[in-house]
Amino acid sequence: MIDPKRVLRALAEHWSLLEPLCERFDAGTLSLIELRTQLMAQLPEGTPTDVTALLDQWIRLDILVPVAKSPNRFELNAQIHDFLAYLRREHRLGLCLEIEAYLRHLERLAGHIQEAFEIRDGNDLARQLRLLDMRVRDVLKKLANDEQALVGVADRAKTSDRQIPLRQRYAEVLATWDEYVEPMIQLVAADGAFEQGVRRVEQVLLKLLGEQQRLGQLVDDDLLLRTHARILEMQTTAQLTLRRARELLLPLREEARRHNAVTRGAALALSAIRKRGLDAVPQASLPLFTRPQSTFLGTASQVESYVYALARFEPKPARFPKASGVRTGNAPRAPRTVREMVERCEQALPLPDLMTWLLEQEPDGATDELLYWFSRLSRDARFQRERLERREYLTREHRVSLSSFALVGQVNAQA
Amino acid sequence: MNLDLSELSLLAPIFRELFKGYHISRREPELYTQLSNLQDAYRALFRALGFELVCDTRGFYYLVPEQMGAQVNKTAQRLALFTFILVEHLADQGRDPLAVLDGGSLGRDELPALLDKYRDLFVQAEVISQEELEEKVMRRLTQLGFAAEESGIYRFLPPMHRFLDVCLAVQQDRDLAAALHSDLPLPAPVLTDDDDAGAAVPDVSPDEAFDEDAALARAIAEEQELQA
Repeated sequence: MIDPKRVLRALAEHWSLLEPLCERFDAGTLSLIELRTQLMAQLPEGTPTDVTALLDQWIRLDILVPVAKSPNRFELNAQIHDFLAYLRREHRLGLCLEIEAYLRHLERLAGHIQEAFEIRDGNDLARQLRLLDMRVRDVLKKLANDEQALVGVADRAKTSDRQIPLRQRYAEVLATWDEYVEPMIQLVAADGAFEQGVRRVEQVLLKLLGEQQRLGQLVDDDLLLRTHARILEMQTTAQLTLRRARELLLPLREEARRHNAVTRGAALALSAIRKRGLDAVPQASLPLFTRPQSTFLGTASQVESYVYALARFEPKPARFPKASGVRTGNAPRAPRTVREMVERCEQALPLPDLMTWLLEQEPDGATDELLYWFSRLSRDARFQRERLERREYLTREHRVSLSSFALVGQVNAQA
Repeated sequence: MNLDLSELSLLAPIFRELFKGYHISRREPELYTQLSNLQDAYRALFRALGFELVCDTRGFYYLVPEQMGAQVNKTAQRLALFTFILVEHLADQGRDPLAVLDGGSLGRDELPALLDKYRDLFVQAEVISQEELEEKVMRRLTQLGFAAEESGIYRFLPPMHRFLDVCLAVQQDRDLAAALHSDLPLPAPVLTDDDDAGAAVPDVSPDEAFDEDAALARAIAEEQELQA
């Protein structure tokens, strides 16, 4: 018995090695030598022993299995291969016949459910309902898989080399249409096997619900309702898958689709984005443009200094204080709030010279900070002000020349 | 080069538009004419400010900040995705994407169907509703000069060529094509760290790589060497 956690851990740890191998395994089996060469290419610093150990681990975990009758050739364990295909969104198209077979099975299960109810066997009824529910989930899983596989078929046709003849480029599309879409159309049609099967199962479930109310409960109503909902979901999903298949493949099949370098590029990019996200498109080819600015920097010198700062920007590593560390020096003072400053200013009214008052209040204040407070307080609607003569003031670092204000009183107080 | 600023009479509006990321095309006839008449002077002035003025011969001007780095913003990704989707959608309908995106138009009423059909892709660009498609994509396209909206019709302008160029660049990207077509040779793995990019290329010639005997002999020799 292999521990599932170890398998999952190995898949996660070796994903970067396994993913490219999957593509190789999609095309067939690999010999031991091919496997080693492939892995050595991806592990330039790995020794042959490392590669041997890696392969050994994969074989022990049943990720790799030897091909029957060719012990030196390997393939991915079919279960793991399916799981990886699901993760990589690389799906293989199933057969329409499989869906039909599932439906026949659903109908048979509906028959068993009816029988179990008639003989009032609650346990068997619950078991059959669970089986039905699981089978419906299988159909849903298969439909989802097929839809992804159809996207793959369309992607391959759209992105293949534009030089090859149309017929050749769309060969896979034509085959898919004939073998999957056409039979699906018949299957999902109003009088097709799918609709009939679904209707039959639905009738059994609804009858069961009614009978339970009349004769008393054998199983929880919720179980019946849930199964019924899932069957309806299956029906919708089948129709959606079919619609999507037609949307995807019809333009290709009818050869109505335009094909040129631009459409091929767009299809390639979309395919990459579907599988690997928005960052899959090579960043280098994306256009760069300046971010639309909401506020515009007015003067050329401001723009110049902005660009200058940008050009000489050097990231500095941020050093966060340690929780255990002891602070040296004085604790930094919290910045003054507007409310705090306005209150102090109000208490000090009348002020013969605002700038002088500010310098007294904040003798060590930085010039830009003092000028900010000067501008903020002198414009505050609460104060009545009078312009003074221009004169010079000395801050800690600079000599500034400005026309200060005398704040003579409060607007409200005057009113 | 000596610049006569009095000649650059529309410098302020031109710079304001370009700095916002706007693409100036013939839709702004005055700005466009002055830019094309005094192209060299404007280019020199903007270069001195640290911007590169790109004059695209297909009829539009835009600024690329020199120090922008390789950082592509979300808007660029979103608009590129929209272009890919639109090209794909039009091609599937048998319409010529070039005819639409190079001077053609798209009705606002076509957007819901587009969103519905490509919902899985739009979700990746955080566009979920019709409002978001209009706000995050269509409005941005018009703000940046890629399109103009008039009574529910979006007319695409020449700057859209920047996105069509992305389609062409992707089309020529052999690595991307190879990664999507498993029958093509796999690209050599490239690590994201630039410093290590060289080390990721295997030190084995292609002929050697497929010569199984040689590879086996090499593996055995290396094993023996290690065990010795």
